[in-house]
Amino acid sequence: MKFTPGTRFKLADLANDLRVAFFLVFKAITRGNKYTLVLTILVTTLAFINIIFTSSIMNGAISKAYQQAQENYVSNIVILPVVDDKYVNQVQQLKTKINTLPGVVSSSSRYAQSGMIRYDPGKDNLDVREKAWNIKSMNPTEEVKVTSLQNFMVSGRYLEEGDRDQLIMGKEISGGYGASFQISSLKGARVGDEVTVAYGNGVQRDYKIKGIYNTYFPLADLSVFVTEKEMESVLGIHNRASEVLIKTDGSVPERVYIDRLRMMGIEKEQINVWMDFIGYISGLTQTFDIIKGIVTTIGLLVAGITIFIVIFIATINRRRQIGILKAIGMKERIIVMSYIFQAAFYASLGIIAGEIIIQAFLIPYFIQYPLPMPIGMVSLVLVRQDMIFGIVSMILVSMVSGFIPSWMVTRQNIIKAIWG
Amino acid sequence: MSKTFGGEVPVEALKDVDLQISEGEFVGIMGPSGSGKSTLLHMLALLDEPTSGKITVDGTDTAALSSMQKTSFRLNKLGYVFQEYALLPELNALENVCLPLMMLGAPAREYRRVALEMMETVGLGKRARHLVSQMSGGEQQRVAIARALVNKSKILFADEPCANLDTKNSGIVMNLLRQLCDERKQTIVMVTHEPEHRQYMDRVLWIKDGEMDREEKCSR
Repeated sequence: MKFTPGTRFKLADLANDLRVAFFLVFKAITRGNKYTLVLTILVTTLAFINIIFTSSIMNGAISKAYQQAQENYVSNIVILPVVDDKYVNQVQQLKTKINTLPGVVSSSSRYAQSGMIRYDPGKDNLDVREKAWNIKSMNPTEEVKVTSLQNFMVSGRYLEEGDRDQLIMGKEISGGYGASFQISSLKGARVGDEVTVAYGNGVQRDYKIKGIYNTYFPLADLSVFVTEKEMESVLGIHNRASEVLIKTDGSVPERVYIDRLRMMGIEKEQINVWMDFIGYISGLTQTFDIIKGIVTTIGLLVAGITIFIVIFIATINRRRQIGILKAIGMKERIIVMSYIFQAAFYASLGIIAGEIIIQAFLIPYFIQYPLPMPIGMVSLVLVRQDMIFGIVSMILVSMVSGFIPSWMVTRQNIIKAIWG
Repeated sequence: MSKTFGGEVPVEALKDVDLQISEGEFVGIMGPSGSGKSTLLHMLALLDEPTSGKITVDGTDTAALSSMQKTSFRLNKLGYVFQEYALLPELNALENVCLPLMMLGAPAREYRRVALEMMETVGLGKRARHLVSQMSGGEQQRVAIARALVNKSKILFADEPCANLDTKNSGIVMNLLRQLCDERKQTIVMVTHEPEHRQYMDRVLWIKDGEMDREEKCSR
């Protein structure tokens, strides 16, 4: 912008207009109707909380889903066999190499084999519950370093390395414990009960249920685990794996580790990140984002319309006063600016009050009492971007809501404004 | 100048009114209700525009001014006192008087000093910091006069300023206006219904049916 004496004059003029507008707003707020002020701020506070709370709970749900996928399902990175191969070979050597990579916390290998689980609670063939599932294996010592399933046992105990005739299963397979897919589960299998697993390769084994876990994450709770040694005896193979899970320290994005793994010689195997395995959960997060956008827009509209109504009523009530101000030589822009500032003030106080309520009450409350959702216990997650977006859009919407009615009234003829 | 209000049936509120007001003169506009007194005052104070004709104030042809320029002209050269005081209720008396000076960009200390002087002039120095709602009608009208004059207006327009006042307060306001005219050579144009107000005026313009009916020199 090129500054000329004229420009300077205009800027000084604008600065003075701002001063007068601020003066009018200050007096209108400090000496105006306190009930209207409190009510307006209360509504803007609720509108702001509505925007932030909804997006925070959505963020909390998304974040919980991602956390669950990484902590209880597939960890951060998964190495799968070369396309058209069934297993990753030389897996012990591979894990040793992977564990030397900077940023890798640990790795663990699993076998996966389809099988039919048969559960006969009365052992009398009268009420047999039978279903096909994917049976997985784990090395318990390694597994605890990459997933946290051991922390979610709701009954019984976690697997130990020497277990051969025992298995653990998620609640979605056992049934009970609030399972989401009760109808397709074993409908109430308990720890200590016996099940028969007919593996896809024709081998059949009897197992005792050693433990049942509930991570609240359906994908994780839809698994059955036997030990690695047991699965190797079933499959008749050794030092192989259907998948290798890698836990990283999260210091850099997973893609960076993939590059490093490729550089260290894992060229043909498929390397995926956890996000590739969450299937419908990924779609769910997109849906959450859409809902978040819709709710935020509605919240902003509610806040905007509320402020619009308050300013509209104020301008209508003061139409005569606005006419008088124009008659004594007040510029229209000063009057409009004063109403815009007034609206921005309402919004700012609403934001501050809302922020205090969120930080001081809602967040601590939801940390103490998280919401039970099908993906886990969800707390509020405040994302700075959402917060900034909420604040900026709330202020902008309020300013527009202050501008429109005041502009409409100031455009009126002075005589009409004063005498109607 | 003439003024016709549009609508289904256009109303000719002013018909070829031609008048001249000298500097320092206290002129009254009188006439029956609906004769066009207030309309004439609105035109003169640039609150409304004539349908035809022009108004020249202090050598400026106001018809040539834009809306923004008219606003600035009103602020710099004209003062207006309304029948119903028309003060801002959120402001105290002094702040109401300060407002035109603030709009003119005066520094805070300066506008407070000048406004306080003006409050003293209208005899309300001690009531300066009272909210207008705590003042009587007569006091409020004097605050309105102070506000209209604080920017050293060339012309003070007053639209029935004593209509809502009792005889005592009405006398105070009229005396004040006369005093301003005598001591500060303030030009005043005032619409009134009250014949006794003529004693304070230099001249009265009688309006009837939107036309200048007669002119009356007042002997004081």
